[in-house]
Amino acid sequence: MSVTHHPSPELLAGFAAGTLDAGEHLAVAVHASGCPTCRRFVRAVEGIGGSALEAVEPVAMKAGAFEAVMAQLDRSPPRPTARADSFTDDDLPDILRHYRIGRRRGVAPGISMRPIELPGPSKSRAFLLRSEPGTHMLEHTHSGIELTCVLRGSFSHEGGRFGPGDFDFGDETLDHQPIVDDGEPCLCLVAMTGDLRMNGFFGRLISPFVRL
Amino acid sequence: MEWAKLIGRVAEGDREAFRRLFEHFAPRVKGLMQKAGASSGDAEEIAQETLLAVWRKAAQFDPVSAGASAWIFTIARNMRIDAVRRAARTSAVDHDAELDYLVDPAEPADDAMARNDEADRVARALSSLSEQQSMAIRLSFIEERPHPEIADVLGIPLGTVKSRIRLAMNRLRALLDETK
Repeated sequence: MSVTHHPSPELLAGFAAGTLDAGEHLAVAVHASGCPTCRRFVRAVEGIGGSALEAVEPVAMKAGAFEAVMAQLDRSPPRPTARADSFTDDDLPDILRHYRIGRRRGVAPGISMRPIELPGPSKSRAFLLRSEPGTHMLEHTHSGIELTCVLRGSFSHEGGRFGPGDFDFGDETLDHQPIVDDGEPCLCLVAMTGDLRMNGFFGRLISPFVRL
Repeated sequence: MEWAKLIGRVAEGDREAFRRLFEHFAPRVKGLMQKAGASSGDAEEIAQETLLAVWRKAAQFDPVSAGASAWIFTIARNMRIDAVRRAARTSAVDHDAELDYLVDPAEPADDAMARNDEADRVARALSSLSEQQSMAIRLSFIEERPHPEIADVLGIPLGTVKSRIRLAMNRLRALLDETK
């Protein structure tokens, strides 16, 4: 697959630094896991993180810190916790296997979604969005930021055509009308940011793109 | 001193090597975390957890694809994400950040030569950045300093900070792409 749309360098650097909001973090993680070019960029920023570590003014550890860590060396490490039980769709990228994904529900004709439980505090919510071929999304603008990573199928809008692995960024400056391409259903991971309190019930926030 | 070699020895259970790594890196992880806004207590905890993870994961360290300090940086970063997630206790999901940085297994397997090649490209790109450019990226993303401080450190007008950062990022991206 040839990926032509990538996250911005700012998002990639934030991902490398570990400072993104949980929803943004997931969207970039999914893209990067399948995009060698972006992984290289992330690695470069991690390299800068390494230099920062070398250059930073050390701050003395508390008395007894070393002994406290030594005391734990022989304890067997906890296995990385991952949640694979909730999940049955084989076509999803591996990273998503570690997330808890809710049941599918219809949101509009030809469109269904599955919410993804985010592991940390997040201004955004993340979900899988599945659209039938040929679905016209209603014309919409964003009241927050919307990050989309295509997992399967494709859609097109003024910004071009977005196929598997492609990453789309939308914000309030955009006004677009995506159309799901013919052929197969389009499955996307979407992370949307917006302040619920400021926007009222969150249906309003994502509506009319998705009715929840 | 070769940190990568020490990590190799730690992988074999050498506690003296571990002590030296701890003494060098724990205070630096703590310093970097504090710089990026963590409280002294949180920074201390992340530094301890990071070094403990260095002990446990030492065998996974691949000196071909990353430098020792970059590797330890990624561990510290993951520990910090985990700490933020734990503190928020937003849900029952207990999820290690480490898992988010894995490569999709559907990607072509990368052998040692490919990894070496990749690491070279990254290292070349980083060394082609000017001091100011890598500093701009570091201050903005790794240390998360506010723009007035970045202007101060770099000795540039506040109004130009944003464009400097963007330029540095675009240059890094171009450097990484053009070697294709």
